[in-house]
Amino acid sequence: MSDHSMTVFLVDDDPDIRSSLSRALSKRGFNVETFPSAATFLDGYDGLVDGCLLLDYGMADMNGLELQQHLADAGQTIPIIFITGHGGIAESVTAMKAGAVDFLEKPFRQQTLVDCINEAFAKARRIQEAAAKNKAHHDNFARLTMREKEITQLMVSNSSTISSKEIGRILDISPRTVDHHRARILEKMATKTVAELVDICLRAELFQVNL
Amino acid sequence: MKLSLGALLAICLAGLQFLAVLTVVLLSYVTSERVLLNHARTLLSDLGNNAILHSKGFLEPARGTAELAKRLAENDIVASDDPEELEKLLFQQLSLAPQFSGVYLGDEQGNFVYVNRGDGPAQYRTKIVSVVDGQRSTRLIWRDTDFGIVLAEDDPTDNFDPRTRPWYITAKATRDIIWTDPYIFFSSKRPGITAASPVIGDTGDLSGVVGVDIEIDAISGFLARLKIGQQGTAMILNRNGDVIAHPDPDLIKVENADGSLGFVSIEDIPDPIAKTAFGDLTTQDVREIGYEVKSEFEHDGAKYVSTLIPALSDELPWTIAIYAPEDDFIGGIKENRKRNIWIAAGVALASGLIGLWLAQFINAPVRDFASNAERGDAAKGTYPELQDARDTLISEIEQRKTFEREFGATFDLASRGMAQIDPVTGRFVRVNTHLSDILGYSDAELLEIGLVDILHPDERAAGPSIRDAVNSGVEYNQESRFLRKDGETVWLRINAIMIRDEHGVALHTVATVDDVTTQKLAETKIGDLNRDLSHFSRVSMMGQMASGLAHELNQPLTAITQNADAALLTVQAQKNADPELIEILNELDGQAHRGADIIRALRGFVSKDSGAKVAFDFGELVDQTFRLVHPESVQHDIEMNFNAATLPHVYGNRIQVAQVLVNLLRNAIQAIADSDGQVRRIDVNASVNGNVLQVCVDDTGAGVSPDIDLFAQFETSKPDGMGLGLTFSRAIIEANGGQLWFDEKQASKSRFCFTVPTGKGDIDV
Repeated sequence: MSDHSMTVFLVDDDPDIRSSLSRALSKRGFNVETFPSAATFLDGYDGLVDGCLLLDYGMADMNGLELQQHLADAGQTIPIIFITGHGGIAESVTAMKAGAVDFLEKPFRQQTLVDCINEAFAKARRIQEAAAKNKAHHDNFARLTMREKEITQLMVSNSSTISSKEIGRILDISPRTVDHHRARILEKMATKTVAELVDICLRAELFQVNL
Repeated sequence: MKLSLGALLAICLAGLQFLAVLTVVLLSYVTSERVLLNHARTLLSDLGNNAILHSKGFLEPARGTAELAKRLAENDIVASDDPEELEKLLFQQLSLAPQFSGVYLGDEQGNFVYVNRGDGPAQYRTKIVSVVDGQRSTRLIWRDTDFGIVLAEDDPTDNFDPRTRPWYITAKATRDIIWTDPYIFFSSKRPGITAASPVIGDTGDLSGVVGVDIEIDAISGFLARLKIGQQGTAMILNRNGDVIAHPDPDLIKVENADGSLGFVSIEDIPDPIAKTAFGDLTTQDVREIGYEVKSEFEHDGAKYVSTLIPALSDELPWTIAIYAPEDDFIGGIKENRKRNIWIAAGVALASGLIGLWLAQFINAPVRDFASNAERGDAAKGTYPELQDARDTLISEIEQRKTFEREFGATFDLASRGMAQIDPVTGRFVRVNTHLSDILGYSDAELLEIGLVDILHPDERAAGPSIRDAVNSGVEYNQESRFLRKDGETVWLRINAIMIRDEHGVALHTVATVDDVTTQKLAETKIGDLNRDLSHFSRVSMMGQMASGLAHELNQPLTAITQNADAALLTVQAQKNADPELIEILNELDGQAHRGADIIRALRGFVSKDSGAKVAFDFGELVDQTFRLVHPESVQHDIEMNFNAATLPHVYGNRIQVAQVLVNLLRNAIQAIADSDGQVRRIDVNASVNGNVLQVCVDDTGAGVSPDIDLFAQFETSKPDGMGLGLTFSRAIIEANGGQLWFDEKQASKSRFCFTVPTGKGDIDV
């Protein structure tokens, strides 16, 4: 029913909400950690994507949207579910556009909340897997020689249709050598097609270039 | 040719003088001529009557003498047969009246005694014819004035018989005193008449006739002595037209065919003037003149007056005829007239010359002045006053011209529409181009109509007319709608007054016309905004309350549902769980949700009015909100300023943003009003910051106490506030994609800021 490796981080400035909600979720088997403000959350958060953030929108000092923005700026990708006592359409739209899982109006049906949390957890897991995969790609990429990295970059940046002849002319090597390097690159990056290679490179952000 | 002023003056002067004198002369001539002519006629008439009286007086003694002799004879005091006594009596009678030429008595027997003035040896002569027994003797006696005998002799040749004489026959026949017609006496060859009276005896029989001869020669002499003007002539006509008396006695005697002497007829008189005057009177005419006839005639180019005075009496049917030349009476004044005309001409000439000299004298400086004026010479002329007057005149003319020019230019170029309106017809008599532009008519078209012709139909019944207002002396100042030529409605503010001359007579109405259409529309917009705001304010305040309540209630409701859920799970985890408790907990959860639903519905209901978002001019909105709160700022003596460069349009709900601005301005006004600071001003600054417009409202009030949570719902520093203003405003701004905050960094003043997205923001719902 619940993933025990995952945690629900509850941030709400209303102590009644914190206590009742954490109790109810705990009864349903969720790990719940509560914070009375955005600041205390940021102090205690280790940055791992191992759960989701259940965030009250209307708080003094730093409100929910501001915290969302703050996390995004810091590169944190933990999924966020907003809960609000006076949900405005404009705020909900802003939140959703910034990647929130959902924007729930208080009081909400418990089942709705549980569904949202499960969805957020799934998202968190996907993020974790993607991160793991990326890590593999990065490791593979590190094993490429300098020449092979050059050729990969040309292939990714100039579309997959670029010919070995053109790459050879650019790098001042023979097309045959280019062909040889390409085969080695696909092998080392554990891919079969050039298209897949390009996709990996882009998703894993292997190049610090603006494509 | 244009006559000089001098010549004109001289001619006029001379001419007027001449005319005046001439008029006086002619008038006096005409009037005195008439008077004198009348006088002349009266004179003639008087003379005539005088002649008549004289003639009567002249003839009357003859009657008396005849009567006396008759009576003496009848009473036998003297007997005809006593010639000596009779002669004595007759002699006495004759000597008494010098006009008698002879007195005599004849009887039926043929006796005759005749005493007459004679020529010859003595002054008197007596002729005595005696008939005794059929024998007659005639004795002639000449006597002196003392009756002494000078000579006596018999005349045997004489055969005079009185009974055959006309006077005897007539007197005997009429048995009354008779007058003969004048005739020329045989003896003296002089004109005369005879008065004869019958002597009646005791038996009633005629015994004799007494006769008296009168020489009327003396009448002619009298007439000759009459002074009738210088050349006037009077004459006496007998009834048969004979002239029996005339100043020239020789004229009237003519020799008849038989050698006897007779009177000349008026038709034949050798006096040509008399012939012209009276020659055409027939015998009949003369006889029938019953009254005095005055007339005028012309002879030989000269004018005459004449008069005819009828017969003295039946016995003496004589007519007095007088004529006299007019000049005898009015010659003097005619002469005078001629002289006067000459004098008038002389005077006219003299005054003309004097006038010419005077004109020269007056005109010379004027001419100098004129030439000076032409040259613009400032040197003083003969008359310094004239020169000063001229200088004043020139400067006044210059001022007037300048004024006219300036007024004309002002009128034509005025930035306002201007018009002169006829006070009676109400039509335009003068308009400037600006007015034509405002109304869309050409100048010429406007001059055909009046303001009332282009009044908007809805305005017709409203307000007093311009004419009524200005006629009653009131300044007309109204804003009304009019129709342009293209049919569009314009709002005109018309200010009109009546211009009157110094006598109070209305000259024209001057109207200044301003097109206040834009202003009116702006006012309408502000009115609309105000109405929208108050509606929005009412509705949204409810919404805000609902929203605030929703937040406050949703928190505990959420806690309830969570606790219900936890309790439910707890109960369900127990063995032999109490189903009733589970039901209670489920209902608890449901009821909490129902409460939340009610709140949500309420909030949804009021937020329906949130309205559409549009792009709008923020600067215009600030202007309008300033005007909305203007009365309050004036009341608290607060200056409000809006500082902004050219601003882009912002995107949002205009009324909601206006509401926020009004809230902030009212808060600022209230803050300043509560303080007693010297500087009382509100500054609104707006600037573009990225893709939002940042607006800050600064006030010089006392500032905000740090203890107060400005944005807390239902918390307020105002005794009568609900504490919704700022939270409400923040909610509105956030709903419009902006933010609202209190800037704590400001030291001496309070500053509230908010942002509104510029252009069409990305918060597109």
